[in-house]
Amino acid sequence: MDYDKLLNLGMELGRRLMASGAEIYRVEESVQRLLSAYGLEPQVFAIPNCLLVSVTTPQGNPITSMCRIPSHGTDIELLERCNQLCRQLCQNPLPVEEARRLVGELPQGRRFSPKILLLGYGMTTAFFSLFFGGGMQDGLCALICGLVVGSSILFAQRLTGSNVFFRTVVNAALASALATLLVKMGLGSNLEAITIGTLMVLVPGMALTNAMREIMAGDIFSGLHHTAEVLLVATAIALGTAVPMLLSRHL
Amino acid sequence: MNLLDYVLPCLWAFLACVGFGLVFNIQGVGVLICGLGAGLGWLVYLVCVNFLTGDIFSAFVAAMAIGVYSEIMARIRRCPVTGYLQVALLPLVPGAGIYYTMRYCVEGETQLFLSTLLHTFGFAAALSIGAMLTSSVLRALLPKLRLGRE
Repeated sequence: MDYDKLLNLGMELGRRLMASGAEIYRVEESVQRLLSAYGLEPQVFAIPNCLLVSVTTPQGNPITSMCRIPSHGTDIELLERCNQLCRQLCQNPLPVEEARRLVGELPQGRRFSPKILLLGYGMTTAFFSLFFGGGMQDGLCALICGLVVGSSILFAQRLTGSNVFFRTVVNAALASALATLLVKMGLGSNLEAITIGTLMVLVPGMALTNAMREIMAGDIFSGLHHTAEVLLVATAIALGTAVPMLLSRHL
Repeated sequence: MNLLDYVLPCLWAFLACVGFGLVFNIQGVGVLICGLGAGLGWLVYLVCVNFLTGDIFSAFVAAMAIGVYSEIMARIRRCPVTGYLQVALLPLVPGAGIYYTMRYCVEGETQLFLSTLLHTFGFAAALSIGAMLTSSVLRALLPKLRLGRE
């Protein structure tokens, strides 16, 4: 049996899982089960930006592979596909080449076009501003804000950089400034509802739930990592929103 | 409080979370399931706030309801629970809390700032513990009930 190839197979699946925003225990468990299904006894260790897999061949040679995981968003479709493939391979271990090909095909799942994603952002912000007590006009304002913030998230990543903190500050400032502007122009009336509705797409809800799940699952390190991320992003939102607010007060 | 005060916010929560499901690339019926979870969670929260005391406790109860709902849906559809839980919890995530905390801080209202900050933390903690508790309990119970694994 080709142990290098098997290790690469496990590594690839783990990497895809991590990139889809899966919890750490899910990544570790999936890689563990997959390699166990091929008769290995792997050691798997993952933290939010690193994945380590190690196996020992029957001859006693240890082989280890390490992969650094870049910052990523959430892709539930990819997560579901990985999960399904993993379960399938665990029940019925295909030849390594075949399995490798299937893992390679994972990212080719269905994906929404940027237009639909933008619509998603707009819908979220518009309905959240209604949810927070805004009127129909405020919803319309929030829709505009959401489209702008959404396009900033989707298309302007090169300008705002890869730093989560800075990116969130810029986006929150953009949302707040636009909301203030629209209210000053007289289109909306409830500034709070518009701003909060727009901020909901930036709020780190996903990191918050993941952090707690990981702490409860015993992955204290990853849990703390995500908790720190939540606090950082929340601070960034507050900072970014404060800037236009202060400016509008003194202008 | 009349019926519309219950139905409308839940409808907005449903639609908003369907939108957010698109952003998370949830395909097919999954996106509607997430939205329904969000609406359900908010309904539980509203009922709790009105008939029981304390919004932090209500958030805890609502998060538990969402947790149970998501775990059941995940098992029916044989999908990871992650997506459903994250999107359905969104209306409860204290976005407004963060906003008001910051505003009081900017305005120099130290007392209000501190109390809002602590309240936001409490709310977030209640949410995560509520959702987590149901996940852990169901994880321990379901295999024994032979309802299949996720």
